[in-house]
Amino acid sequence: MIHLKKDETKTMVAVHGWSGILLGLLLYAVVLTGTAAVFAHEIGAWSAGHVATRSAFDKPINASVRQLSAMTPPQFREAVNLFEIGDHGLGVFFHRHELDAKGMPVERGIYYQLDNAGRIDRIARGTTEEVFGPRNDDALSSFLVDTHVRLHVPDPWGLLLTGILGLAMLVAAISGLLIHRHLFKDIFTLRRRANPVLVDRDKHSVAGTWSLPFAFILAFTGSFFSFFGTIGVPVVAMAAFSGDVEALSETVFGNPEKPDPRPHIIGNLDLVTSDATHRMGEIPTFIAIENFGRADAEITTFHNPRTGEIKPVTLLYDGVTAAFKRTKPTVGTRESTGGTLAGIMGPLHFGNFAGVLSKAIWFGLGFAMCYVTFTGMRLWVVRRKDDARSLAWLERTLTVVGFGLPFGLVISAAAFLITMPLGSAVYWTTAAFLIASITAILAGIFAPSNELLTQMLKGATGVVMFTLPFLRLAVAGGPDWYRALAVGQPAIAALDIAFVVAGLWLLRGCWIATRTPRRSGSFTSAAIEA
Amino acid sequence: MHRRATTTSSRSWRSWARIVLAGPVAIIVALTLLAGMPLWLPGGAAGIDNLVFPLVFAPLIWAALFFHACLDPRVGRVALVAAVLFLMHGGLVVSRFMGEAQVVEQIP
Repeated sequence: MIHLKKDETKTMVAVHGWSGILLGLLLYAVVLTGTAAVFAHEIGAWSAGHVATRSAFDKPINASVRQLSAMTPPQFREAVNLFEIGDHGLGVFFHRHELDAKGMPVERGIYYQLDNAGRIDRIARGTTEEVFGPRNDDALSSFLVDTHVRLHVPDPWGLLLTGILGLAMLVAAISGLLIHRHLFKDIFTLRRRANPVLVDRDKHSVAGTWSLPFAFILAFTGSFFSFFGTIGVPVVAMAAFSGDVEALSETVFGNPEKPDPRPHIIGNLDLVTSDATHRMGEIPTFIAIENFGRADAEITTFHNPRTGEIKPVTLLYDGVTAAFKRTKPTVGTRESTGGTLAGIMGPLHFGNFAGVLSKAIWFGLGFAMCYVTFTGMRLWVVRRKDDARSLAWLERTLTVVGFGLPFGLVISAAAFLITMPLGSAVYWTTAAFLIASITAILAGIFAPSNELLTQMLKGATGVVMFTLPFLRLAVAGGPDWYRALAVGQPAIAALDIAFVVAGLWLLRGCWIATRTPRRSGSFTSAAIEA
Repeated sequence: MHRRATTTSSRSWRSWARIVLAGPVAIIVALTLLAGMPLWLPGGAAGIDNLVFPLVFAPLIWAALFFHACLDPRVGRVALVAAVLFLMHGGLVVSRFMGEAQVVEQIP
């Protein structure tokens, strides 16, 4: 328990409130989309109706990569990245390392997208930023992730913005901890029969206290990811390597071996994937080949953490013989404190270290964070509304963002399901979100009361959520539950159920609110009287 | 009356000083630490700890500076700590470019 003096507590309360109110709306958007993005992989499978049973790395890839290598100009055969895309398809990025106009290292090359039968779907040429955009079959999950990572603001500004939001969340979490005089008591205090203001304050406090460690971890790891490439790496490279970012990257991530540029055919990749799968008990998540086609080629396979561990695993193979060399840390050439620390940042942020269980916990706590952010802003506004009547517009804005954002997200999901069969999902997923956002803003301007606006947005979100599984089946032509379960995709049925239940829950809330209209309205009035 | 005005003015000055120290100064000092720490931190087993620690802990370093500026009752001490950290790490970076500081610890 931390006991601050009266003045210090007052300062911390101000810091807590202002850190939330200044950036709270954007923070809410980042946290909400991040919460959904925890299940981005499952949402991708659900929305695109993935039914392939064998992973791309479970099947032979060696012949395909050799064939693509023959098609690729020699200047782009310096390195190759291999990873799964879509419905167990294979992404193959032949590339070289070069510096862009600003002197920053980039990867430029040819990106082949293969379907799960090994046929080439699409070929894209350019740098990583140019070729790795959303595809028709993953537009929805890409939209969610891009909103969370950079709020659709171009780099580096989007990453800087979300990094600043991460710092605001860090400040709110630490100041939230410091202002709790009775931390353990607050965890269990819910005065259900008190006046609405106290009830809402208790709910905010309980949800905030339970999710404090999580908020701290998310804010810390999130701002680390946002600032890592935009500020951290250039600054450290400037000081330690005279600005040579590539030298820093080579020191931290590289495999320092004696260079041997003699041409040599690459080893059998099927031996690598089967050995890595055998060693780790599951297929690799990513494969990187350095010095492709040379005698010093090296193949690295990346894996999820082992059961009961939090640190991801990488295996190193000889690129010529395809023989296993050693297990290497994700960061650094040998085990080190710094490497371990950097290695666990990803699993801690994404919550993917213990499969669906850790993801479900991260989703639940993320949802609690959304609730804390939203109710925190509402409490701030309600407490000041008596002094400044003009804050009514802010309360209205909170409702538009708080309930309009989920509405926009489910509308974009519906648009994706309708337009994916037509091949225009990339455009319409974003366009539908914007149209829904504008609709929510107009509703916010013209709705006669905040209470009615809330119920309208909640009701509309509930209706769309309820219809999503039917759109998936009838319009997008997705698999039914029997087929989904038969091909090992229980996530499809689980998400269907989740959408129907959440939709009904929202509609039930609206129905109850129409029968007892004074309850929500009393929140503000009681607060003003308090 | 005059004393009260002086006290209010002094309090207001301190508040502004605190805001400046918690805001732009904390950012500048955190960036200077980010640049300077790789030059004195040990490299560790893989020779990368000095590079990784500042990168990973940058948000916490900023948060520590921010909360120190908010909570330390003596604004002067906040300014002193920020100045010492800035001068030490800024000096290391400058001397690195003048060829006096060690670049990066070699991997054993």
